This record gives sequence, structure tokens and C-alpha cells, in this order.
Amino acid sequence: MKVNVELFGIPRARAGVAKAAAAGESLGDVLSDLARRYPQLGTSCIDGRRLREGYTVNLGGERFVTDPETQLEEGDTILLLSLDAGG
Amino acid sequence: MTHLTPGYHGCYLNVDLSTNCAQRVELDESDLRKFLGGSGLGVSLLLRDGSAVKDPLSPEAAIVFVFSPLVGSPLTTSAKFAVVSKSPLTDRINDSLASSGFALHGKKTGHDAIMIRGRAAQPSILIIDNDQVRQEPASQLWGLSNRQVQSVLRERLGAEFQIASIGPAGERQICYATISHDGRHAGRGGSGAVLGAKNIKAIAVRGTRQSSWSDRTRLVDLAKELSQRSLGPATAKYRELGTASNLLTFNRLHVLPTHNFQEGSFAGAQAISPEQLSTSRRRTRAYCAACTIGCEHIYELNDDQDPPGDGVRLEYENLFALGSLCGIDDPDVVLAASRKCDDMGLDTISAGGTIAFAMECVQRGLLDEPWLRFGQGDALLRALDQIGSGTDAGQLLAQGSRRMAEQLGHDSIHFAPQVKGLEMPGYDPRGLQTLALGLAVGARGADHNRSGAYEADFSEAVDRRNVGPEAAAMAIETEDKAALMDSLILCKFLRGVFSDFYAEAAEMLRLVTGWDVTGAELRETAVRIVNAKKEFNILAGWTPQEDTLPERVLRESLPDDTQARLSPEKLASLVRAYNSGRGWTPEGWMPGI
Repeated sequence: MKVNVELFGIPRARAGVAKAAAAGESLGDVLSDLARRYPQLGTSCIDGRRLREGYTVNLGGERFVTDPETQLEEGDTILLLSLDAGG
Repeated sequence: MTHLTPGYHGCYLNVDLSTNCAQRVELDESDLRKFLGGSGLGVSLLLRDGSAVKDPLSPEAAIVFVFSPLVGSPLTTSAKFAVVSKSPLTDRINDSLASSGFALHGKKTGHDAIMIRGRAAQPSILIIDNDQVRQEPASQLWGLSNRQVQSVLRERLGAEFQIASIGPAGERQICYATISHDGRHAGRGGSGAVLGAKNIKAIAVRGTRQSSWSDRTRLVDLAKELSQRSLGPATAKYRELGTASNLLTFNRLHVLPTHNFQEGSFAGAQAISPEQLSTSRRRTRAYCAACTIGCEHIYELNDDQDPPGDGVRLEYENLFALGSLCGIDDPDVVLAASRKCDDMGLDTISAGGTIAFAMECVQRGLLDEPWLRFGQGDALLRALDQIGSGTDAGQLLAQGSRRMAEQLGHDSIHFAPQVKGLEMPGYDPRGLQTLALGLAVGARGADHNRSGAYEADFSEAVDRRNVGPEAAAMAIETEDKAALMDSLILCKFLRGVFSDFYAEAAEMLRLVTGWDVTGAELRETAVRIVNAKKEFNILAGWTPQEDTLPERVLRESLPDDTQARLSPEKLASLVRAYNSGRGWTPEGWMPGI
């Protein structure tokens, strides 16, 4: 199953792209796939099936999710973000 | 104080400009432990002074520069100072923070705070050289920009002196004028106007008195460990991209205030994003003194007249306020406008917010300044020039959006982007509703630095577009944490590196002061500081009707995210829950005040 990934902040800088496609049934699967496709992103931001501290995922611009078992659907869009706002 | 607590000098300097007298006033150790330093100590000193009932621009009003027990320690980000006074913009408490050498040398003069009252007989600079305090005439400096006056004074007095100055905006007592030090600003609420009303162009400090630390060895070890952690992932965004990288994220989530909060996303966001700016111009990084993070990202202006290496610090807040809020998608204009604000000493959020409000007034036919249109870069720059030069339009804009709306009428107050008179920061409250509550109840008005409640909105803890009563406890928690960070003082960009902030802050304070302070005590201290600000506001005339948001935010959904909507009833319910959670009456009154 394919999902769309939009990257912002440090994840974008590490991956070198603003948008990507990834495969997986769950959030954890998708993060693992992203780490394989973009090794620098994987090293910096992803730890196995989870995000490292300082990063978060938003599903479809609506809700924030962290549980790697969160089920995704074909065509879902996830946003990969640096966590802290402020400034 | 007979016993001198490590980390403190045990006194503040009380300067009366009218009589040209200065005296050392002892501080009781129990008061220091109750309020620590920074914002907390500043508010407690102003409460004792009776500042709440004084006109903030009168000679009787006090403004206090407050250091903290951690200033001068090896702890990263601790070189900070607070400027605390009654705000001429809101008529409520105002505490603004800035960083670097002024904090270090100000404290080394041998004082934990410097309180200034009275009015100099002529434009002057105030020089504090350890115990020696003097005024020097500054008529020839009047009118200089912040960069100019600081350069002249460094040349005249020597590089050891650290300078805090006002620009022409402070001289003209524009109620959102800043105090600037070394390119940074104590920015919000108009402290620059308070200094300008006292005829003080600049304060120069130099000191040689280092306060002691209770356990130097362990403090140095802790500082090394904290510095190491500060280089981790929690601060990577600030180090590598700067706060401006919020722009595209907020735009995607439809919480980027655009066209005076008429929309939550901006078609021109990509063009002014730091990602784009970095491709077209040189960017350098800078650090505050005693900081390991280095969040400042400085962009060169594409201007032949700008000296090489003399760029513009670009933060998210000036990018949004002078960019999307005014509909500006030209990065050269945003940078030039930021530079004008820095030089004049104008708070970029209030300047951008007021100009965006005026642009909408023109759009609606309420203001006859047809040149002042959304999206017109030359109009933004012209408006800033007029604020500085005091034309009729400039004088109107110099009042801030609330007073301007009161003057224009026609219910324009409904879309004036302010709370308690302070213009709103770059977070649309409809899509970040825990922060909406934080902005509504904030003691100094709508401000993201006194309520970090967006942390809850950017998490699974709440549905950010439809929060429930659980948001009240989260708004309280983040407000308390901010109050403590602003009093210790530590930079809020460190907050992500702590696993147990209160316990770790207590450890720092124990090693500096020798107090047997605990995390639980610091939680009480934070609440005490929030209560002190509230007490100040009640004495200054606060009413429950102030704790709200502009009607627009409460009655209009975001056109680009119609699920993001608040209502007056919902916000009122959240405010009541917040007040009850604070132990106040549901309306927000404090028992006994």
C-alpha cells in the first residue's frame, strides 16, 4: 500500500526532498520504508519503526500520531515534522 | 542581607533619573527564593513599588532590568535578562527578555536588578560602571538607529561596556517600541517607549563582580552535560534552520495567519520560506553569549548599500508578521522591513499586526489610505517609514491595532488582531485551540512566549481543532513552565532537552545557590509568579472581559480549514476551566486581591 509523505524542517533537510512516496500498512512500516529509501533521514530521525525524539507525524493535516501500529490507508498523506514550534 | 546567597549579589540598584541619585537596596533572601530572578523578581519588585497604578510613561513609573542566579554561570543559554514594567501598549504587566553581554555585565555591576524611575532632564545615556552611576548628555545621539548608537557608544566607552538602547521608535514613545542589545530585542509590549519617556537613549553597563556558586565542581559538570544535550535532536531545528522553518509547516496545517487572520495559509509562503531564501542569498549563524544552540540565522540583504556581513536576523515571527500577515511574498521586502524594525526599534509582531489590520481597514473602506494594500511591498515599507517619521497615518499606526480600532470605530475592533492590546503572534488560534486559551488568558496579552500551549496542540494529547476541557490543565502547565524559565532564566529552546524540567531546574539552582530546593518547590514558585502577574493586572484594572480573543477568531471559521472553528461560548468555557484550575474564581478573580 502506498502513502504520500510530505517532509518539513529537519526531515526535509535530511531526506533532501519535500515529498516522497512510501509503502506500508502501518505508520511503523512506512517509517521503516522511508529509512531504507533515505538513509540520512533514517539515521537522524527514525529509530526502527518509530520517530526519534524531536520529530512527529501528522496524518492528513488533521491529527498527530506516534503509535507505530497506527493503520494507514491507500493514498493517505502523512506529514513528517520537527516537533518544536516557537520563535 | 547579612548572609550572601551564592548566585546573587543580594541587592538591586535603584536609580532616580530626576534627582540623579542611585542607591543600593538590599533584597531579602526569602524574597529571592520566592521569585528567583528575571520576570518573577521583576514583577515582585514592581508590585512593591506600586507600579500597577502608575502611568507607564510617567516619571513615577519604574522599569526594571532583572538578572538571575544562573546569569554568569557556565549553564548554556543562561546569559539572559528580563525587562519588566507596566506596558504602555496594554496597561498591564510586561516582561520582555533578551540575551547576551548586557546580562553578564549588568549582573557583574554587583546588582541582581537595576530599577530605573524618574526622567532625565535632557536626552541622556545612563552609565553604570560597577557602583559608579552617571548620566551623560545624548542629544547628538537622539535619532540614531539601534545599530548606529550602539556602535558609537562602543567606540566612545570601550568594548567592555555592554549597551542596551532604544531606536527612534522608543524616543517617540511608540507603544510597541523595543529595547535592543547587540541585535536582539526585549521586543514585546513597548519597554522601549518606557525608556524613551525617561529620556534615556541607552544604558551602558560594565562590571567586574562575579557572584559565587555553591558547588562549582558539580555545576561545571552539569553544565558540560547540559551543553552536550543541547546539541541533540531536540534543538536541531533551531541550530540548522532557525525558527523561520515553522513557516511551511504552519502553512500546511492552515495555521499560518494570512491577510490579517482572514486565512490560515498563504499562496506566497514558499517564496519567503527560509528554504527558498537559503538558495538565493548567503546565510550565517550567530549565538547569544553563553549559548551552545546558535538559533540565529542571519540573511544578507540584496542591497548594495548594506555592509558585507551585516545581515538581518530572521525569525519566524517577523517572517509571518511582515510576510503572510500583510500578504507580502517578496523576500527582499520582508528582510528590508525586518531591518527597518530592528533599526527603529519596533516590535515586528505588533508592527506587522497593526499594518495588516490597517490594510484590512483600507480594504473595507474604513481608512482613507488607498496606497496601503495587502500584498504591496512598497506599502509595507512606506507604512514603517511613516510610523518612524510620525506622519498622520504613521501616528495612527503607532498606537497599535486596539487603539487604532477604537479610533476608527465601525466594529473594526472585531478584526483587530490583539488580546489586551498586544498583537497576536503567528499561530492561528482556530487551528491551535489550546494555544487559543493560552493567548486569551495571558497576563501580557496574546503571546506565544508566555504560553507554550501549542506544544499540546502539536501532540496527540488534544484534537487541536476541537479541544475539550482537558486543554485548561495543559495551558496551565505550559504557562507555569514558561514563568519558571523566564525567572531562572533559561532559553525556552532548551525545553525539549529536559526529561523532568522541574527536577533538573532544581538541581541547577541547588548547585548555584546552595538552597535545598526541589522540583516540587519550583512548581510552587512558578505558580506564585503567574499569580503575581495576575495580581499586578488586577491592581492595574483588569476585568474578566479582557480574557478573550478577537471576534473574528471566535465567529469565523478558517476558509481553508472549515473544521477549525472556535465560538465565544467554547472559549468562555475554557477560560472558566483555566481559572478554576488556577484556584481563582471562575471569572478569574484572585481570592483576597
